[in-house]
Amino acid sequence: MDQKTFLMAGVALALLVAVAAPFLASGSPDGLESAFFGLYGAKTLTGSELDDDQAEVAEEEVVEKTGNDFEFASPMPDYTVEGWDKAGEVVAVVLGTLLMLGLVWGLGRAVAATKQ
Amino acid sequence: MHIPDAFIPLSQSLIYWVIALIFIGLSLRWARQELTDEKVPLIAVLAAGIFAIQAMNIPIPFGTSGHMVGAALAAIVIGSPFAGIFVLTLVLIVQGVLFADGGLTAMGANIINMGVIGGFVGFYGYNTMMGISRNMYISAFLAGYLSLLVSALLCAVEMAFAGTFPLVPGLVSMGTYHAVIGIIEGGITAIALYMIASARPDIMEHAAGVAA
Repeated sequence: MDQKTFLMAGVALALLVAVAAPFLASGSPDGLESAFFGLYGAKTLTGSELDDDQAEVAEEEVVEKTGNDFEFASPMPDYTVEGWDKAGEVVAVVLGTLLMLGLVWGLGRAVAATKQ
Repeated sequence: MHIPDAFIPLSQSLIYWVIALIFIGLSLRWARQELTDEKVPLIAVLAAGIFAIQAMNIPIPFGTSGHMVGAALAAIVIGSPFAGIFVLTLVLIVQGVLFADGGLTAMGANIINMGVIGGFVGFYGYNTMMGISRNMYISAFLAGYLSLLVSALLCAVEMAFAGTFPLVPGLVSMGTYHAVIGIIEGGITAIALYMIASARPDIMEHAAGVAA
């Protein structure tokens, strides 16, 4: 496979995953969140039930413990666009994927170019 | 495994940032010296793919989900642990700033766990396994698996320093979930390596152990 076809296939695959992710991705807490909820009494280690009220309490509790209440308003929190629902999630992940492509390509060119 | 801001006291976050910045500096030096022009599009496409696949949380038992990190894959394909740090640093910056996925004060710790540990354990784990098994895919699976598990255990230790998790229960919880999530990391690393090696065997020559 020549370089151009190979790269285009790679970008196409990345975009395919980006479009599919919002529909296929699990909304369950990830490993770190699950460990957190488990250790703060909102779920058991191997149980699948999450106590939402206790989870909220846990989130307040941890801020008290570490004293880190830093907050930052991301434009698309949790890969969502306000008022856009699923379409917004697709837009967010696709946008992020294209941004990564451009950012790494650009920075890579900028630093690699100094060699040649 | 993206640590949110609230999980680490600011003073400790600062220390992780300083350590992360040293590795970011080293990865930029690697890029200046080793990242040839022809590898730039490849690492860019890998970064795009890694960002997309990180949004794909796969359900595991225990009401939990997990996703691939990808530092091991980048390190194996490009042929340096610093490639993993380079890619993951940029992925984590975009995720943290634009999508609130992982904290900003906690980003240094996230770069260490996923980029540095992922890159180093992935790269050296792969090379060690290649020496033993001589099979790219078995090596990639195990390197990916191990990179994720070590990241998670280090994360549990950081959470203990932070006072957020008690040490042993934290290690048990993080270890239990990530022992399963590691299968996702190892599996996708091996599949991606297979796809790249099938399409472009020349790219994978270094990783196939031709030098040995």
